[in-house]
Amino acid sequence: ETDNCSRMLKYRCPGCIVVRKLLNSRNFSKLLHSCAYQCDHHKVIMEAEDKYKNELRKAFICAKRILLTPCRRRQLSKES
Amino acid sequence: MFQGQRGWFCRSVSQALRQFWVDQGGMVSDAQAADFLFSCDASHPDTLRIYQSLEYTEDSATVFHAYYLAAVANAEKKNSVALGHFVLPPACLQKEIRRKIGSFIWEQDEKFQIEKHSRA
Ligand SMILES: [Zn+2]
Repeated sequence: ETDNCSRMLKYRCPGCIVVRKLLNSRNFSKLLHSCAYQCDHHKVIMEAEDKYKNELRKAFICAKRILLTPCRRRQLSKES
Repeated sequence: MFQGQRGWFCRSVSQALRQFWVDQGGMVSDAQAADFLFSCDASHPDTLRIYQSLEYTEDSATVFHAYYLAAVANAEKKNSVALGHFVLPPACLQKEIRRKIGSFIWEQDEKFQIEKHSRA
């Protein structure tokens, strides 16, 4: 029985089990993040996506800063 | 099965899969309004736009491989297919993920032929 349990835990997590009626593209990632346990499959995907999202967030912040820099703004208004 | 749900489809998704969604009561919408985001190609420009969105970075835009719909169409118990197994990550991450966990479920093309399935 314990064996069965640990096997369950090893291969399945909320991302695997929660039924589709409760899942969609809007809440899936949040659900995974809110759970202490993820199966290997979901853990690996989640970690890879998180790294990618962090890079993107940084890029967004940089882009914003460039747009808001006064000299850049002057440059933009000169161009237009 | 998809009554009242809104789905967005990347242009990489076949007409047969979209049709199955609609036949099962789903609606087709734009990406902003959609509850479900479906794609068959993570590097298609439509899907890239999702991966580069603020929503995606805020964990509220998971893309699912549209083969989920084929799996549902072919399954005896339609509700038993785990949507969570069909997460489609950005193309630039797939190699690294595959190295760690093997191939993705949706990479087994032959399993997801919907054309053979007679429409309900
Ligand atoms: Zn899982």
